[in-house]
Amino acid sequence: MKRLILLGFLSILLFGCNNTTQQKGNETAEKSATVYSVDDLLANAAELEGKEVTVKGTVMHVCKQGGGRCFLMGSNEDTNIRVEAGEKIGAFSQEQMGSDLTISGIFKEVRTEADAHNPEGEHGEGEDHEDDADTEEAHRVISEAQDASEVVYFIDGLTIVKEEI
Amino acid sequence: MKIRKLLRILHRDLGYFIVGMTVVYALSGIFLNHRHDFNPDYKIYFTEFQTDINSAENVDEQAVKKALTNQEMDVVYKKHYINNQGMIKVFIENGEAIINPETGEASMSYLQRRPIIFEMNKLHKASVGTLWKWVSDAMAVILLFVAVSGLFLLKGKRGLSRWGWWFTIAGVIVPLIFAILYI
Repeated sequence: MKRLILLGFLSILLFGCNNTTQQKGNETAEKSATVYSVDDLLANAAELEGKEVTVKGTVMHVCKQGGGRCFLMGSNEDTNIRVEAGEKIGAFSQEQMGSDLTISGIFKEVRTEADAHNPEGEHGEGEDHEDDADTEEAHRVISEAQDASEVVYFIDGLTIVKEEI
Repeated sequence: MKIRKLLRILHRDLGYFIVGMTVVYALSGIFLNHRHDFNPDYKIYFTEFQTDINSAENVDEQAVKKALTNQEMDVVYKKHYINNQGMIKVFIENGEAIINPETGEASMSYLQRRPIIFEMNKLHKASVGTLWKWVSDAMAVILLFVAVSGLFLLKGKRGLSRWGWWFTIAGVIVPLIFAILYI
């Protein structure tokens, strides 16, 4: 029995490591070496779309339902970019609000419903759920910024390069 | 070795092994179930107070830090900016505050992690990286085995073919009814 459990653990570790190695090999997005501010990233959005970028910004909002995404702001709160934590980062924490994060990820354009940010959908559409005032305000700012943009972008996060409190 | 004897041994030993994980998932599951009633990860403290700020001009870091002193919580300033509404939004460690620069009125929300439950929730949501995803999958398979093997442990009057069958069916029907009615 002990041998069985040990064998099981070793298999999981080997499989997990192998899978991680394979995932790294599968990333074919072109990588840009520059650390962009949110403003610069959005100003050069068309040429950076589809590439792996590194962006630095202040965390202005972290999704309260699980921390699956955060929003980095640039020079003002209207200039912001959504960053999906994905599997690699896991989740953002509320403690990261107000911190300056440098994040690497794939810069993408929102093309499908699945790519879009829908706070009501992710938090339980139609359910009797009220956000607190801070969250509602954040969602309002984010929605207004998105509505004002012709094209909406987001980042599929890969790794947090640096965190400055 | 007879199959039933092997099942009993595996059910027993894997059952012991999976108790810890089951407790983690069960407890965190209760908190996550109520995520629309309260924040499962943090206890949130909300407070309103008056500051000396009476203008948006010359509101620097020192002025904001001064405004946030004398609070019950340990407030550590991070940064601030003026938002679209002209309010001073302040990021603090474990929270944020909003100050109305015209009236000096302020409100602050402060987060405190729920000890142990916070970590259990992260494990439950599998938001700790790729390796944990596979480990928790393996744990789930073990739990599935423990559940199914338990059906076949007993022979006779209290075994699956008589007594156990009805309880098993009832346990399946309860979620099935909810699935049919609400999904």
